[in-house]
Amino acid sequence: MAVPYHVLKVCGEVVFAARGSTIYSFNSSLECISAWKCDVKPKAVTGGWGAEPSPAAEGPPAKRRRVAADQAPAVEEGQAAPESETPEKGNRRKKGSNFVQKSKPSDRPFVQGLYNTSDGCHLVAITGSDKTIWVFEHDGAGHLTQLSQRMMPKRPCSLAITSDNKTILSADKFGDVFALPLIFSEDPSDLKDVTNSPSSAAATPNTNSRSSTPTTTSKKPFQPQANEFTIHTKRNLKALENQKLSLTLKNTGKLADANFEHTLLLGHVSMLTAVLVAARGPRQYIITADRDEHIRVSRGSMSQAHIIEGFCLGHDDFVSTMSIPAGRPEILVSGGGDDDLFVWDWAAGKLLSRTNILERVQKLVPETSRIAVRHLFTCRPQEAADGPTWVFAICERVPALFCYELKEGSLHHVQTIPTPGNPLDIDYLKPVASVSAPRILLAVDPDISGDGTGRGGPSLLVLSWEPASASGGWHLASGGSQGPSGDEEKKGEQEGEDEISNQELQRILYTTETLRKTIMDDE
Amino acid sequence: MVDSKKDKRQKREEYRAALHQDDTTELPRKKFYRQRAHANPFSDHQLIYPPSPDQMDWSLMYPAYVVEDDKPADSEDTAMAAPGAETEAQSSDELVSSTEPKRLSKEVEVADIGCGFGGLLIALAPVMPDTLILGLEIRVSVTQYVVDRIKALRAQNELAPESNPNSYNNIACLRANTMKFLPNFFRKFQLSRIFICFPDPHFKARKHKQRIVSPTLNSEYAYALRPGGIVYTITDVPDLHHWMVQHFDAHRSFERVSDEDQNADPCVAIMRTETEEGKKVERHSGQKYVACFRRLEDPPFEEAEAEAEAEKKVEE
Ligand SMILES: C[S@@+](CC[C@H](N)C(=O)[O-])C[C@H]1O[C@@H](n2cnc3c(N)ncnc32)[C@H](O)[C@@H]1O
Repeated sequence: MAVPYHVLKVCGEVVFAARGSTIYSFNSSLECISAWKCDVKPKAVTGGWGAEPSPAAEGPPAKRRRVAADQAPAVEEGQAAPESETPEKGNRRKKGSNFVQKSKPSDRPFVQGLYNTSDGCHLVAITGSDKTIWVFEHDGAGHLTQLSQRMMPKRPCSLAITSDNKTILSADKFGDVFALPLIFSEDPSDLKDVTNSPSSAAATPNTNSRSSTPTTTSKKPFQPQANEFTIHTKRNLKALENQKLSLTLKNTGKLADANFEHTLLLGHVSMLTAVLVAARGPRQYIITADRDEHIRVSRGSMSQAHIIEGFCLGHDDFVSTMSIPAGRPEILVSGGGDDDLFVWDWAAGKLLSRTNILERVQKLVPETSRIAVRHLFTCRPQEAADGPTWVFAICERVPALFCYELKEGSLHHVQTIPTPGNPLDIDYLKPVASVSAPRILLAVDPDISGDGTGRGGPSLLVLSWEPASASGGWHLASGGSQGPSGDEEKKGEQEGEDEISNQELQRILYTTETLRKTIMDDE
Repeated sequence: MVDSKKDKRQKREEYRAALHQDDTTELPRKKFYRQRAHANPFSDHQLIYPPSPDQMDWSLMYPAYVVEDDKPADSEDTAMAAPGAETEAQSSDELVSSTEPKRLSKEVEVADIGCGFGGLLIALAPVMPDTLILGLEIRVSVTQYVVDRIKALRAQNELAPESNPNSYNNIACLRANTMKFLPNFFRKFQLSRIFICFPDPHFKARKHKQRIVSPTLNSEYAYALRPGGIVYTITDVPDLHHWMVQHFDAHRSFERVSDEDQNADPCVAIMRTETEEGKKVERHSGQKYVACFRRLEDPPFEEAEAEAEAEKKVEE
């Protein structure tokens, strides 16, 4: 099954687009420059959350090797999941079998997110099933050098990079936000055991410099915490028994700690779906969104991130995406499982407006009864500083792009652009000398039907803004035929990415709707 | 087996229906409200909670404090009544009103997190007669027990006000998962006291994230508490005590209350003796460990080093 491009990041003149486990780079004419393939050694998977330098960037991408599913860190086993239906869960259930014949599709570390530093010098990627954060140096011309690979304790869902480009904030599936230095030395002598135990985390000021002294996890010999004197209830007695059991488990040594610096900054008791850094004047903030309808605003400095400044509350369903428009730093737009898009004055925690987007979807697909907003993307054409601020919305499995203009505190519908595929990601193409019109790059899954029959159509589309034409607005450039080209890109097709079944691909590509709660009956 | 289970459930329902029939002054009996010991705070329960504190309708829980205002209800906000605030006979239509929630003359100021069967609420009611106190409990039956208990106490008081220590109009209980939804109920700095009494120990290391005290949850308690406000903790499990002390000590929004201040606080004695768990520990002559923490003022906002940034820009 051909894997469509599903993650995009424009970095100056260079376009990065990920397909499966591979990140391709293109020039502005979408000619392929290079490809990097995520290649996790089985050892790196078993040996705790180690950082193994990978030669993948230099050598030809190796064919995917097998990774036995049951070698994944045991810490994930039986961990109470904060949500009921995630793609991972199915995966975890299967982990019981200790005989894995072949690389299971769900073990493929698909690229789930691409982020770049504001100076364009670094690209950061998350891969999904192996919970890894990758940092690359970018030469500005589309060539990547892998600097580090860090496997996180829990699956990262969203990243942000602080404004000083020194720290990565990783928001994970279990609700925590960790800070990691962007540049991470792999010199083993440099590796202090600075895994932050929950106990020391909140108190650990991390000044982003390696000379800081994060609290070291104290490795006290593990003792049962209850004894016969403390057992007053049957419940506690049972807990003691369980505890003795877990002591045995712990001594098998499977609960490895990550051996790189990562500081717990804040956390929700809910799966995090998005994290942003924001600023009001000299004040920095961290904004986090969760599956339980919350948007939280915390202070942004590493030593004050434990202070919650406020919340933006009003969503009735999960929040899955947020964006702060360029030029409007006081505004936050958010979306998720609700029928509406929300516009906030985030620092005041004030809802400014709600705009129904379900109705827009229904005009296109009348039988739609609910939507999952997959992605909100805001941009502002650079050539016009006072020009419009655009907000684009992608709804999961809806073959269209919804374009709004942000005016004051509300969204005004500009255009619904039907697309030959389900949009998966979007970015703004920087204007180049030859093209003056604003352009948008879109990654789509051409298989709208969902049964796999439509795969093979173009997956990268360019839209351009043609206000002067008869039907002014966004148009598919050159009839959408402007697909990517290049040998590297073609090679990917032959490298086993097609092995994946349609069902598996559906599960990896479409995860937003799974955030919706399936309420269990109490009592 | 199935039959007996059904039987029990039926009995329980009949009992509770009878209790709700009239304004009974009969105190509810615990055995009809038993429920499994634990509820997973991570899973999606059928919880009712307001999207934000502004949309919370407290009027059914604290009817004595409702301010009748003449302002026409024209807001589009949906108000939501708390679960367990009224009898089960109430239809769900009434729970979600289309008008702005009725305002109270005061806000809830004291929260008992994981209040269990409500002993602390009832003991605190006469001690702080002008303060609204709320118990939050995740287990449905246990919450219903407390709601029925408060209802009966209020009814008793109405019949014979002179012989009762308090009206019990200032206490209420609602079902909530505080680990997820505290900010849905309380605004920043709304609370002056938070009680965490005999929380579930969750001994297993991998269950520590389920503990009601953790570095990240402490930030939420700090958010809801006003500076100077107090978190009260008590447990009979020494290691849980150490855990709570360690995490509040380490959290820079809190400082430990001195033994002197702690002993002088009447709430501490009440918490030791009036919670159901406290009584249970007493019967087994077990130890009780108390620790209180004061919410500190937030430090000045640490701003990005504007100068350093500017310098860098010049260099570039
Ligand atoms: C051991 S009992 C103590 C009850 C009471 N505080 C006492 O001292 O008698 C702990 C209570 O916390 C409740 N609880 C646990 N997690 C909770 C949560 N996330 N939100 C609300 N209540 C919770 C449990 O259902 C249980 O009733």
